[in-house]
Amino acid sequence: MTAMTIERRPLLALRDVTQSYQLPRTSLFGPRSSFTVLDGIDFDVCAGEAVGLVGESGAGKTTLTRILTGMERPQRGQVEFDGQDLWAAGAAERTRFRRSVQMVLQNPRSSLDPRMRIGTALLEPLRSLRIEGNHTRRIHEVLDQVGLDRSALGRFPHEFSGGQLQRIAIARALMPNPRVLVADEPVSALDVSIQAQVLNLLKDLVQDLQLGLVFIAHDLSVVAYTTSRVSVIAAGRIVEVGRPVELFTRPAAPATRNLVDAVLTVESGLAGTAL
Amino acid sequence: MTAPAAIEVRDLHVVYDGLAAVRGLSFTVPAGGRMGLVGESGSGKSMTALALMGLLPPGWKAQGTILHDGVDLITQTDKALSARRGRTVSMVFQDPMSSLNPVRRVGDQIADVIRRHGGVGRHEAMGQTIDLMMQMNLPRPEQLARSYPHQISGGQKQRIMIAMALACYPQLIIADEPTTALDVTVQKQVLRLLSAATRERNSALLMITHDLPVIAAMCDTVAVMYAGRIVEYGPVRQVFRNPRHHYTRGLLDSQPTMDNIALDGSSRLTSIPGMVPPLPALPSGCAFHPRCPVATDICRARMPEIDAATGAACWHPVAASQPAVAS
Amino acid sequence: MTSLATAPAPAPARATRRRRRRNLTLTIGIVITAAFITIALASFLYLPHNPNIPRIPDRLLPAGSPGYLLGTDALGRDIFSQLMVGARTSLLVGAGAALISLLVGTVAGLSAAAFGRLTDETISRGADIMLSIPGMVTALVLAATIGSGALTTILALSAFFTPSFTRVIRSAALSVTQEDFVIAARLYGRPTWFILLRHVLPNVAGVMIVQFTLYFAAGILTEAGLSYLGVGVTRPSISWGMMLNEAQQQVGISSPLAMWPGLAIVIVVLGLNLLGDGLRDVLDPKLARRSS
Repeated sequence: MTAMTIERRPLLALRDVTQSYQLPRTSLFGPRSSFTVLDGIDFDVCAGEAVGLVGESGAGKTTLTRILTGMERPQRGQVEFDGQDLWAAGAAERTRFRRSVQMVLQNPRSSLDPRMRIGTALLEPLRSLRIEGNHTRRIHEVLDQVGLDRSALGRFPHEFSGGQLQRIAIARALMPNPRVLVADEPVSALDVSIQAQVLNLLKDLVQDLQLGLVFIAHDLSVVAYTTSRVSVIAAGRIVEVGRPVELFTRPAAPATRNLVDAVLTVESGLAGTAL
Repeated sequence: MTAPAAIEVRDLHVVYDGLAAVRGLSFTVPAGGRMGLVGESGSGKSMTALALMGLLPPGWKAQGTILHDGVDLITQTDKALSARRGRTVSMVFQDPMSSLNPVRRVGDQIADVIRRHGGVGRHEAMGQTIDLMMQMNLPRPEQLARSYPHQISGGQKQRIMIAMALACYPQLIIADEPTTALDVTVQKQVLRLLSAATRERNSALLMITHDLPVIAAMCDTVAVMYAGRIVEYGPVRQVFRNPRHHYTRGLLDSQPTMDNIALDGSSRLTSIPGMVPPLPALPSGCAFHPRCPVATDICRARMPEIDAATGAACWHPVAASQPAVAS
Repeated sequence: MTSLATAPAPAPARATRRRRRRNLTLTIGIVITAAFITIALASFLYLPHNPNIPRIPDRLLPAGSPGYLLGTDALGRDIFSQLMVGARTSLLVGAGAALISLLVGTVAGLSAAAFGRLTDETISRGADIMLSIPGMVTALVLAATIGSGALTTILALSAFFTPSFTRVIRSAALSVTQEDFVIAARLYGRPTWFILLRHVLPNVAGVMIVQFTLYFAAGILTEAGLSYLGVGVTRPSISWGMMLNEAQQQVGISSPLAMWPGLAIVIVVLGLNLLGDGLRDVLDPKLARRSS
């Protein structure tokens, strides 16, 4: 439905982004060769939109994530937030970016400091980003949004299950009231019955808060369920962009075909056509 | 069928100092059969696998009966068990990276298994190794056999592991999440290979995983585990097409597959509320009752046994006419 | 707590039993260490006899003789009083050396883990070089140049322990900095020093405490060894190693004489190691979770 909007005004966009790393010298006087990780990447996300990024490991997903979240500066190309070039902008703009683009990491157990109470962990983004206001009220608001009880605040991470921790990690990302959420494999470390809970939560957040969601994963079926537009990345290039249904039914690029073929479903398994 | 079962487990308990990870497990894998043991983390499926192999972590004890090859594995000494491992029963682990010795050539590691159990010489064993690697569709086997584990890819390592597991034509192969650590695009290749190779050797396969589609593709029967017990047991088609336990139903419903995605972004997955209970705080009665949509007083009070008619351990089984997956 | 349906033992009894078993190690460690520290401190307030004044008529009295709890040595000096003053030296040298290496090693280890490749290489290679110099040799050289004594021994031991300490802290800190919560903190723009103090330090504190107790024990052992060789402390200070050395001449005449300082070393070192092991279990958040 929402894909039909007249004017797309991306909230966060990568324009022709290229990134390469220098390899260590192989001989003392030889030239340093470099390795191109990302090559001419165009990628964007609008408010209230969920976009997916799929690819095999080593395709460049991690580097793309780091560039999207401002952790790495690309060698060429622009990172634009709200129409402004992030790396050309001033410090004030950079701070606004840090507040507005938040990340959810793969492993909820390692993304929370085991020695920090949940309440403190949730305050961390507000403190470090120097956000004023009624922090307690904000915490309660966010806990409601992710469906967690207030009793969680005084407890430590080890007292929670993986699914609950991922909710807490999402809550922490929501604390500075971001406009874009970058989720890097947010369910692959979770149990099957919990995955659906977290996926539904992410979908609801996109709807309710008009968040832009970038969902990065290697499993096409999970991405297809959550997002309305998917980019397929292979060997540092975006090889195909499309709606999930198009990618599934008419994959054009070989990399997309590989990923579609890799999807196993209960039904194809039972039918004996899976392998 | 009168052929002896590849493995028959009766009332297996795996305990540690009063904690029970597995609480009364019974199932049979017939000779050459393929069974899936499916469950989430904390369901006790991995402890079951380790108990079957006699590889429980220190402090854990298995009780009950594990009949295999005419003996009860629980009563066997460590030495007898280790003589058996790789010969009549072998295992493929989740992480091929840590299951191979990093400082020995992979070919030598396969040949070791063949020499230890097959009683053949070094030369002969190497020849068999190369044959085996060819059967595993490994490219340039002679060259690959001389590689060290860090020089080859994860998918290749897992194929080496399968080759080692199959080397001596075991009656039973236990595969514990054999593809979870692999890249998605090589998972299918490895599964295909495991499937074909076990079928060729008429080895029985016990597949342990949290991945329902893998079970659907690989197995004939399935046992669904929850909190250390089997909650549903039966032919894969029957159980997955027409689950009778609400947990199985919930698991199937929460799969984001291409079957139930409307793919326009408006669909929602049905999820199981709550979480897997931790071992020290298992609920009374049916352990699933706090998360079950139809739980009543009897579910809280008494633990249901597997019902022969439905195959489900449930006081209020799902009606037979409600398919979970549209067929 | 809901009751378990089939588990052989009810949950509370089981948890208690497990906790008690783990706590036994810790308790023994605490008791021995506390007793050792108390005796060492008490020696400043009260000694049965002056441990340095010979009383020839009372020489080589057996343990239990009136007025001499553990007997006397070849010069008639009270063994128990000597052990008390020896405890003082062990405490001073062991704790001092462990503390200095703890401080220096933590600063160096955290810096190596957090401040980039060059810092890491410099600190790690420096530690390698220091580790390649035998500790005993360092102590002997120091004793020969600036004279032997408690301070010299502390310095020598610190120089010996600090590199190992640095390495342990570095690797512990490195594994913490790989964790996602550090990445998250960086995303919020937290500076490195903040992440080190707020996230890394609390997570390596357990390692630090355990290492401290183990090096405390190692310090006591090494100090005894140095004093035994005659390059540790000298009278009027007393060391258990020195007592061992002196007793050596009486072996065959009065064997228990060598037994007492030996026993003291064994018990205290064992106690500190038990304390370290017990603390390791208690301070590991993953192990602690199981007990809760």
